[in-house]
Amino acid sequence: MIFKVKHTLSILIVFVFFSCQEKNTPITITPQQFHETVDQLTKVMIHDVFSPPVASRIYVYPNIAAYEVISYNNQTYNSLTNQLNDFEQLPDITLKKNTNTPLAALIAYMEVSKELVFSREKLLVYTDSLYNHWSKTNLKEFNDAKLFGEQVANHVKNWMHKDKYIETRNMPVHNILTDDPFKWVPTPPAFMAGIEPHWNKIRPLILDSTNQFKPKAPPTPSLDKSSEFYKELMEVYAIGNLIREEGNDSEKLNIAKFWDCNPYVSVNKGHFMFAEKKITPGAHWIGICKIACQDAKKDFESTIYAYTKTSIAINDAFISCWDEKYRSNLVRPETLINNHIDNTWLPLLQTPPFPEYTSGHSVVSGAASEVLTTIFGDHFAFDDTTELPYGLGVRQFTSFRNAAQEAAISRFYGGIHYMSAVEFGLEQGKKIGHFVNDNISFLSK
Amino acid sequence: MLIKNRFVKLFLLSLLVFSCNELTTENKTPKNYLLEQLTPEETGIDFSNLLKEDENHSIINYIYFYNGSGLCAGDINNDGLSDLYFVSNQGDNKLYLNKGNLKFEDITKSANVNSNSDWNTGATMVDINNDGLLDIYLCSVSGILDFKGNNELFINNGDGTFTEKAKEYGLDFSGYSTQSYFFDYDKDDDLDVYIVNHAVHTNLSYGPASQRHNRADLVGDVLLKNDNGKFVDVSEEANIFGGPNGYGLSASIADFNNDGWDDIYVCNDFHEDDYYYLNNQDGTFTESLSDAFSTISRFSMGSDAADINGDGFVDLITLDMLPDQEKVIKQTEGDDAMYNMQKQLKKLGYRDQISRNMLQINNKGDYFTETASFNNIEDTDWSWGPLFADFDNDGYQDLFICNGIIRRPNDLDFRKYVSSTFKKYGSHEGLKWLYKSIDKMPTGESSNRIFKGNNSKFEDKTGQWIADTPSFSNGGIYIDLDLDGDLDIVTNNLNGKAEIFKNKTNKSKNYLTLTFNYKGNNKEGLGTKAILYSNGTSQFKQLYKSRGFLSAGDGKLYFGLADNSVDSLHIIWPNNKLQKITTVDINKNLKIDYQDSATPYSYPNLKANTIFKKETLIDYTHIEDTYDDFFHERLIPYRVSIQGPAVAIADIDNNGFEDIFIGNTSGKEAKLFMNNGMSFNEKEVADIKKDLLFEDNVATFFDADGDKDLDLYVGSGIELIRRKAFENDRLYINNNNTFEKSTSKIPDNLNNTSSVVAYDYDQDGDQDLFVGNLSNPDHFGLNPTSYILVNDGQGNFTKDQTFSLNIKVSSATWRDINNDGVKDLLVSSEWDSPKIYINNTGSLNPIEIPEHLNGLWQTITTYDIDADGDEDILLGNWGENTRFNNVSTEIPLRMYNLDFDSNGTLETILAYKIGDNFYPVNSKDELASQMNIISKRFVDYKDFSLRPIEEVLTPQALKKATINEVQTLTSGYLENNNGTFNTFIAFKDQLQLAPINSFDEVTINNEKGLVVSGNSNKVGTYHGAYLALKGVFLKTNEDFEQLSNYGIEPFNGQVKQTGLIKMKNKDIFVVITNNEELKTYTSN
Repeated sequence: MIFKVKHTLSILIVFVFFSCQEKNTPITITPQQFHETVDQLTKVMIHDVFSPPVASRIYVYPNIAAYEVISYNNQTYNSLTNQLNDFEQLPDITLKKNTNTPLAALIAYMEVSKELVFSREKLLVYTDSLYNHWSKTNLKEFNDAKLFGEQVANHVKNWMHKDKYIETRNMPVHNILTDDPFKWVPTPPAFMAGIEPHWNKIRPLILDSTNQFKPKAPPTPSLDKSSEFYKELMEVYAIGNLIREEGNDSEKLNIAKFWDCNPYVSVNKGHFMFAEKKITPGAHWIGICKIACQDAKKDFESTIYAYTKTSIAINDAFISCWDEKYRSNLVRPETLINNHIDNTWLPLLQTPPFPEYTSGHSVVSGAASEVLTTIFGDHFAFDDTTELPYGLGVRQFTSFRNAAQEAAISRFYGGIHYMSAVEFGLEQGKKIGHFVNDNISFLSK
Repeated sequence: MLIKNRFVKLFLLSLLVFSCNELTTENKTPKNYLLEQLTPEETGIDFSNLLKEDENHSIINYIYFYNGSGLCAGDINNDGLSDLYFVSNQGDNKLYLNKGNLKFEDITKSANVNSNSDWNTGATMVDINNDGLLDIYLCSVSGILDFKGNNELFINNGDGTFTEKAKEYGLDFSGYSTQSYFFDYDKDDDLDVYIVNHAVHTNLSYGPASQRHNRADLVGDVLLKNDNGKFVDVSEEANIFGGPNGYGLSASIADFNNDGWDDIYVCNDFHEDDYYYLNNQDGTFTESLSDAFSTISRFSMGSDAADINGDGFVDLITLDMLPDQEKVIKQTEGDDAMYNMQKQLKKLGYRDQISRNMLQINNKGDYFTETASFNNIEDTDWSWGPLFADFDNDGYQDLFICNGIIRRPNDLDFRKYVSSTFKKYGSHEGLKWLYKSIDKMPTGESSNRIFKGNNSKFEDKTGQWIADTPSFSNGGIYIDLDLDGDLDIVTNNLNGKAEIFKNKTNKSKNYLTLTFNYKGNNKEGLGTKAILYSNGTSQFKQLYKSRGFLSAGDGKLYFGLADNSVDSLHIIWPNNKLQKITTVDINKNLKIDYQDSATPYSYPNLKANTIFKKETLIDYTHIEDTYDDFFHERLIPYRVSIQGPAVAIADIDNNGFEDIFIGNTSGKEAKLFMNNGMSFNEKEVADIKKDLLFEDNVATFFDADGDKDLDLYVGSGIELIRRKAFENDRLYINNNNTFEKSTSKIPDNLNNTSSVVAYDYDQDGDQDLFVGNLSNPDHFGLNPTSYILVNDGQGNFTKDQTFSLNIKVSSATWRDINNDGVKDLLVSSEWDSPKIYINNTGSLNPIEIPEHLNGLWQTITTYDIDADGDEDILLGNWGENTRFNNVSTEIPLRMYNLDFDSNGTLETILAYKIGDNFYPVNSKDELASQMNIISKRFVDYKDFSLRPIEEVLTPQALKKATINEVQTLTSGYLENNNGTFNTFIAFKDQLQLAPINSFDEVTINNEKGLVVSGNSNKVGTYHGAYLALKGVFLKTNEDFEQLSNYGIEPFNGQVKQTGLIKMKNKDIFVVITNNEELKTYTSN
């Protein structure tokens, strides 16, 4: 029915369009429109359940395309071509006079997005209605911008397709048949196989190799009660029990839940199990970027700049983190606690389906917060409303680093990480953030 | 039938679309069913189990909300007619008096049999106090949600009224009860009870299997012993499991091992194993599932036990929920999704389980052979209650199945919908929302099924014997309501009227109904056995009431007799005394009184006088490595990496006794055991030890270099981490009884080697080799090359360029099939036909064999199976007891091979045929795991279901794909007809139950024959495992026996080979099995 109505409507629109005189109202694109488009992509990503690393890839390429549009022949912003790995010069593009660059940027963003999601239809519904609206408003301006946007999008897509993502789809499943009690094994309730075991084969954007910021090794796994590792294990057990005692008002519980960001939570209700979909850690920081842009009233160009830089840091943070995860292949606290300490213990958060070390959220938060700090400054206080649509509250932070610190420790509270993974993970992320800050030149001097 | 069934459904579906009108008209002409449904107006039974769902009471917060309820029957007023008691989950239960002629009167109001508990489940009638009046025992769920109450016992006052007295008897159990099973486990002539309780998901659900040794309140099953009229819980001392994962949904009581004492089989839902309790005859039980059952249902629901093949041993069926309609198959979660989880559960101590019905055929009380697929009854959709009974009174047991679920909670689109929408709500709001969404779950309405039995195979009679009308039937019983000698059926339906089916066999066939008058406090004689001899055959039945699902029949044994009379009747009473009745009046209800003159019945000791005794003479265990083909080539149809162990048997040191080489998997050492006539001693060989990283698939001893001693060729398989250097074949040269690895004597062979057989095929005085390859280890879809290696006389081998064979070779042998004194080459293959080459002194010419023999052949040999004096060609295939059991020339199985998503990796995609179209075997998620494009092409599961392969993979791609077909999976032989082999004859049913891997010539008891062995663990969770070939000693096609009759343990694993090796004073029988210890048996 809905579709039928839409069809009739569009026929009507076309009819109206042809029967009226051509209008030449200029098309204006606001930063808010860009935010909405990013939100739209997030929605589709949640529907398609992309894993955190894959999600980070989906965020970054559309942003780069949009950024390449606005930086084209621009006095303020430098192109990322020849700065990011294998990203070659754009072909010569003859721009029509007065091309609407923000419009082209938005189109480039959407064109690359469509290539990345499963439920393309859902994005098409969104983009088609926008395209329809714009062509109705000013057909020439729209067509000129679309031509430009699509050319940049195609260039980015060609580059993107060579990042080994497609090849890694067919690589072997992570082998879980191990007798080593300290190697990672799938966790209840869904016992999913480890996700993206070959993510370290994906081409990073700025890192020179996936192990460039290889973190320090975690404490040697051991069940010897005097060992550092065992102490960390018991800390996880103890903090979980403490938070349970504190009950629903526990601040630590709120922190853990706020930063859960696990798209794989399986809910076991009645006769069936399903995934309670959430956004990914990357998406949460994209959300923070949006809030900062809005609070700082950033214009269209600097909004795209902020998103692009943040998503580049997040993308490479995931590659670096996943490289370590399947190198150390460390068992989750839940597994060891259930096997050796308390077989009824459950972490406050559901253990996500990949090895423990380092904490993904810590690495990503470290990287994203350092990049955001250089863009918006330190002591940039904000209200984090990212999780409102997912039934969680608002948290206030005094700075991005403050938020990152809390995001990292939340994994320990949640019972899914040992302290080392949090501390060394945050450190690893910060190094990546600094590397992005130091090695990509966005702004012309 | 499986495929046919699907076809019919699909066809009906399209009929529905294209010609609604026609179908409606057709429906109006009533069919003449064997079992005709009566209306409530006709019977006076107007009962429905109506569910009242609300936010706090639904499938969302109680997993068994749609399990329905049962019914029970018995003559409560002793007027000779069985009355009916229907259970309602939430509403009022109803008691109907049978007034004769299928008319009933609702006496619920006056009878006082309504429950005070909130959620009722199963019921049974027993005379608990032995006053000659049947009482009613009702089970209830309490302690979950706000359900209160306890199990209730309605004592019959003899005046049409009842009084609830459960507490007085100690039967007021309170917990998650599903059904009660009354029996006398300790033979003290009173009735004890086993109560099956179910579990719900908790934090402990994924705890170790050993939790079943604990006792969880409310959840754990209980065994209550009758102690002078008072029931006491003896579960713990009797070794009854009671853990938090006891998702018990039914049990079957029977003397499964025929030792005179009653045993218990318990069906557990979800990942908890079923339990098989053997009665130790001392008040305790021993759980023995692993010893007796190779494959079990995953979501075990209802069950029934009866002797269905007339061999005097009780067989068993357990039901699951495997759909049979193509649309539903692709839209609901199946076992394909269980692969990883099953590996984890195995580590936690749970058995591998398969989501399909299991028909377990009892082998002399010792072990069970599972044959549901062979009988085409493995997929009857969401099935609750099975009942074995003779519905057409032809003397053979038939099968009725209650079916259907209100909503399918495992619908994949619903799950996806819930997943993407649930997040909007907080946890509490989310559940409210979830409840409001349950209507989005598709209906699981499904017809009850009926199958006609003939002692050897079931035939689907749904739509002929009974209307093919979808409904939701949970509990059901068979019963002769109108005393006309045939069995009527009554079902309890969810949100629908109870169904009464009148059997119209009437008096057209002879029958006999038995009731018993036993002694003590078990007057009805529950547990009594009757063996009825008629016309040279026998039928065996044992009396219990609770059967199927949540329900219980009346206390009668019903025998159909076709047109025959009864020669004699043997009654074995619960005290194991035998009473013989030689003059039996038929076509009546015969009441048999216990007589003190009855003599003790002696159960045969089946294990006495066996020829072989187990004796470990060779200490060797084959341990598979952790390489998993499904992790590397996700759409591979079956694993090709578990081919071992390699075996070669020959007398190496010329002492007159055969020695044995056994390979191992990658990372484990192969072993050479020398036989001195008295014992086997390991001989260490440095070069073989060094090669432990190789996966040894096949091996052969032969004289490679003409120095009159035996050298060793080992064909390699897939190495654990795919290092090609360790996937090459090896030739070890015998130098003074030690083996040294040769270099560059044989060409490299990096394929997955399946056979190496030596013979001087060119008759030039040296030994040549045929090397057969099963697969390319990197791409299953690419066929490897197999070849002949010509010996230059010095042990240097080169390929015979005139011979070429590019198929998936599974085995080969040199045999003289044309009596010209020169051996010919016989090759078996997968996805192709067997190849027979006549050897013309070095020139190999294929001969013609019958068309349409593309199979999944596993082995080939020659043997005079029809005893006509010439050698026939025997062929082992997958058999007819698999998920692909109905493959034929007309409905072949197809394999498409191409890089369908153009990403540099080849995919192999299997498809089966329904009607004119091929449909992918794999689910959408499986296809998408290998081809991202599938996720984009089909967003919803309902988009994907019913899409023929052309639409799934695109017609353009299919045109480019290479296609292989399988046209038969039947094992059989090519009959030697004066030197031609143009007739393929199928083996008998018992040899079709699993893949045949090996035919090994042996002489047992001075009789020459073949040991037939096989089974397969190579298949994924879609199949489960094929382990029903327990070992057969085959003398001729008509004359064969289970090997277990000779004292050999049943083969429960994937057997590679067996053999008889002579020792000084005895023979030893060797069984070599993949991933198991080597077993040896001795005979004097």
